[in-house]
Amino acid sequence: MSELRALLARTTEQVLSQTPDWAAVAQAGLDKVLVPESWGGFGGSWEDALIVIRALGYHAVDLPLAEAILDSVRVEERDLHTAMMVAAKMAGALSAALDLSVEYTRQRQQFGKPLASFQAIQQQLAIFAEEAAAANMAAAAAFRAADRGGAAFEIACAKLRANQAARISTAIAHQVHGAMGFTSEYRLHHLTRRLWKWSSEQGNERFWADRIGAQVAQRGAANFWADLTR
Amino acid sequence: MPGFDFPPFDLPPEAQALRGEVRAFLAEELAGKPAVERARSWSGGSREFSRRLGARGWIGMTWPRKYGGHERSYAERYVVIEELLVAGAPVGSHWVADRQSGPLLLRFGTEEQRQRLLPRIARGELCFCIGMSEPGAGSDLAAVRTRARRVDGGWKVSGQKIWTSNAQHADWMIALVRTGDAEQRHAGLSQLLIDMKTAGVTVKPIANLTGESHFNEVFLDDAFVPESMLIGAEGDGWRQVGAELAYERSGPERYLSSIRVLLEFLRVVGDAPSEAERLLIGEMTARMWTLRQMSLSVVGKLAAGENPAVAAAVVKDLGTSLEQDIPRAVQALARPDCDLSGDDPFQRTLWYLLQTSPSFSLRGGTREILRGIIARELGLR
Repeated sequence: MSELRALLARTTEQVLSQTPDWAAVAQAGLDKVLVPESWGGFGGSWEDALIVIRALGYHAVDLPLAEAILDSVRVEERDLHTAMMVAAKMAGALSAALDLSVEYTRQRQQFGKPLASFQAIQQQLAIFAEEAAAANMAAAAAFRAADRGGAAFEIACAKLRANQAARISTAIAHQVHGAMGFTSEYRLHHLTRRLWKWSSEQGNERFWADRIGAQVAQRGAANFWADLTR
Repeated sequence: MPGFDFPPFDLPPEAQALRGEVRAFLAEELAGKPAVERARSWSGGSREFSRRLGARGWIGMTWPRKYGGHERSYAERYVVIEELLVAGAPVGSHWVADRQSGPLLLRFGTEEQRQRLLPRIARGELCFCIGMSEPGAGSDLAAVRTRARRVDGGWKVSGQKIWTSNAQHADWMIALVRTGDAEQRHAGLSQLLIDMKTAGVTVKPIANLTGESHFNEVFLDDAFVPESMLIGAEGDGWRQVGAELAYERSGPERYLSSIRVLLEFLRVVGDAPSEAERLLIGEMTARMWTLRQMSLSVVGKLAAGENPAVAAAVVKDLGTSLEQDIPRAVQALARPDCDLSGDDPFQRTLWYLLQTSPSFSLRGGTREILRGIIARELGLR
């Protein structure tokens, strides 16, 4: 990671982990991550923006920061890039829900030992970790493709993969939390309710799978692998 | 948690250039090969094909030139491997030697072992098998009981290995054996190179559920192994085997095993798929694309000199789940004339992969073992 990107990551973490208001976010310049330096912005790439958007999802911050970032630059396919933003927020929220689930099962004792010590729990959380890793990978690859330009296929895959991960992982998160995760005072629902909402925003599984499937079928078996490795 | 960090990795231009070369070679080599044969992937082998591949410089690609390698990058090797697998090339004869036995010798072997074996592996002349599992030691590998007893000039090895793929064709086996006390479990293990022609080595094929024999029982009855055939240090076998298994888990072979039936499905549905067919294709494509990105990320870790053991476990578990979901999902959506008795390439490929897919999440470390590795990285155990 470049020094500048590491600085951005640190600033992002400092600001977004403190339930910020809009003034704090704007003061740190997080809404101007894509704006050129000569215009007073950070001058970053989509991959830099990913750091901010992912953290927005991780800390469940309720501010229109993704929208502001999109508004700050000329984007030809606005809907597509909005979907990419949602996929990144989902990746962040999945990582946060995983961290919370790991922490909770290590503390919560039943049968005289931590829940985390039971294989039934360990195997479920391993699946969760895999799904969170997949969603994060898909988002990272889509943002990198966006920097190259023409990322329609990658963004479609990233949003669909985030939805698949959310479906599997939210079920596990709630199962391992027991009734505690279902209360309004505990913070799990700040993540899972957002994940359910985001799964329907900017295209659910049916929308994206249909779009990808139609395109792949149209290209045919002979082009499948060539297209995947372009 | 670093094990779950997957930074994107882009293949360098020279690797992409190599892809065209490999595709052209394979198009010619495999012209007319039926789909169901291609679906065998690395379960199918041909000594002649391995030699021709070796002649192209595509075995032992990353190894030093002084051992017959080609000093190419991990990225270049990755491209060759994925092209071989997607084309369904018969790579089984050199697969294990190229993927894990060679790298193991390079890391832990003696100078004599490297000079003697690595150049021949790179030429595609040697077939290796892996002597790990035993009747009483599957996932619990440290329960290995095959015993190597010290004698003048080496060891006498007695015991039994099982589920040993390709043992009936192999020239060499790298066996995990007990050189110390059974009570020591992890500490008393060592790795030995065993010439499969040694007196006292008997191979008995085991038919799998398709009726074919890929794996075997290997009986060792006082088989003599010279001193010079010890790999690494006596008693270090457990640590070495852990490193060897990481090579076995990180490659594209862990998510591509069912690609042939997906391609056949695409061919059959053509360019006017139903909605249900589009949804299936879309779901599997997104999963496969993501897995390829993760698998490439592991290559990036290898290239950077990192140990990708946990990331490789993640890729293998997600990948083998995809490999198992594809044939089952395709079967569920196949058109009514598909009753698995048809002799067309689609039905034959589907039926073959439905039958072989249970092995995908067993070979090279079971799903449960992999999830245990992941749970440890999460700090749960």
